[in-house]
Amino acid sequence: MIEQSLLRLLQLASPALPVGAYSYSEGLEFLVHNGRVFDRGSLQHWLVQELCYGAVRLEAAVMVRSYRARGQGNWEAVCAWNRWLSAARETEELRSQSWQMGRSLLRLLVDLQPETAGGLPARLQEEGCNFAIAFGMVAADWQINLREAVLGYLHSWSTNLINAGIKLIPLGQTAGQQLLLELNPVLEQMTQEVLNIQDEDLGTCGWGLALASMAHETQYSRLFRS
Amino acid sequence: MVIPEISNVQINVLGSVQVNNSPSDSNQSRGWHGSLQLVFARQREATQLIHDYGKAPLKVQRPFYPEGSEVCHSAILHTAGGIVGGDRLSLNLELQPDAHALATTVAAAKVYRSNGLEARQIIQVNVARGACLEWLPLETIVFNQATYRQEMQIELAPGASWLGWEMTRFGRSARGERFVAGNWRSHTEIWQQGRPLWCDRQWFPGSEKLFDSPHGLAGCPVVGSFAFVGQPVEPDLVEKARALWDSHSETATGEVGATRLMSGFLCRYRGSSTMEARQWFIAIWHLVRTHYLHRPACIPRVWQVPRC
Repeated sequence: MIEQSLLRLLQLASPALPVGAYSYSEGLEFLVHNGRVFDRGSLQHWLVQELCYGAVRLEAAVMVRSYRARGQGNWEAVCAWNRWLSAARETEELRSQSWQMGRSLLRLLVDLQPETAGGLPARLQEEGCNFAIAFGMVAADWQINLREAVLGYLHSWSTNLINAGIKLIPLGQTAGQQLLLELNPVLEQMTQEVLNIQDEDLGTCGWGLALASMAHETQYSRLFRS
Repeated sequence: MVIPEISNVQINVLGSVQVNNSPSDSNQSRGWHGSLQLVFARQREATQLIHDYGKAPLKVQRPFYPEGSEVCHSAILHTAGGIVGGDRLSLNLELQPDAHALATTVAAAKVYRSNGLEARQIIQVNVARGACLEWLPLETIVFNQATYRQEMQIELAPGASWLGWEMTRFGRSARGERFVAGNWRSHTEIWQQGRPLWCDRQWFPGSEKLFDSPHGLAGCPVVGSFAFVGQPVEPDLVEKARALWDSHSETATGEVGATRLMSGFLCRYRGSSTMEARQWFIAIWHLVRTHYLHRPACIPRVWQVPRC
């Protein structure tokens, strides 16, 4: 059982999961363009701040809520958290990203496990399902341990943004791998924190990301969709 | 709230005053327990303040009508000068159908260094169908080591609209102070018939690192947000809001951005000057007013700023 859930986590958190994560930089493209992120150190700083105070921390905390609600079969709560997260997105571009990736993951679930997918509320698909919500639901379905699901969520996010940084700055592949290793203690620490955040303390220190993402929406020449 | 599972996301149940106003509460909650309740109603062609109840240190000035009877301007006063740890301020604004009110403050709000307790301001707003609230307070200065939490909960009926801004200065920067210790939260949530339209959970845990980080304040003490919520907004309007900044940007020091919300739009500012933020926001406010409310912006006299 332990091996099966590990294998499933590897699949869910893999950069090869066909949800299009590689096409998003979450503002990094603009930050590189305006010189705020320019080398390994400045990329690491940005990722650590985002993990400790930013939108990805909030998303992971909502992923936990989706996981728990799905585990209890409480679709009302899954849908309510999905709406809440849609309303909490920093920008239109980040909301579109989250919906596109969430939609792709839901579609994948429907294709892989039609029997599970039968119970999905239609409105989840109609209203735009956030990626964190879909991730939490699938992790619960696949009986991945919650703590490990959070680690996997944050790790997968880090891998994706490091890859974006490698292309944009640019950085070497080895530098990217070193950076990912160095993030390990932050991922562990934030996983613990994310599991314990109370609803009333859900929040982000979000100006840097919001401004970068807003600017990216009008950036003239772009490789990435966010 | 129709969905009980998520109801604890909202700190307050709409329509109820959660703050205990009893002075003999407990030692834990010494400080002001001020409250203010305002009810606006449309009566014939005029918006009237039909009920106001203030409990120190909060009160409201007599309403004024610089742009005719349809829009009621009200200025809220904090008579104690500033907010300290343990204070619990509670504001409750109700707009009845088709009322149009503009609420502002007469002076910048100050949140003093904490004595160990959190200061909290809770603002609950109900806007009925066809009504509009313009929430345009002056800036808040958050002293270093302050611990502050603001919860603004807005219920918009279908066809109602809300526009508002918030400008915050982190530290008394004129005297070189930076907000590098303490905790600040400002949560604004706008709901319509059980659905969230916009949930803005702003948080700034004071630290040197976050103050200087490009992810946080990038060394700038002032941040601001302007939002218009309740009606769908065309991308064109967001472009116009951006362009209004570009027309200032020769001399500007801040950074700005704008984006669409699910029902409305949002602008953010990060820089060093509340004046610069306010001038841009006033220009956007004018844009929204002419586009959606069919009247130009009308600067409340208490601000005493040059019109841009």
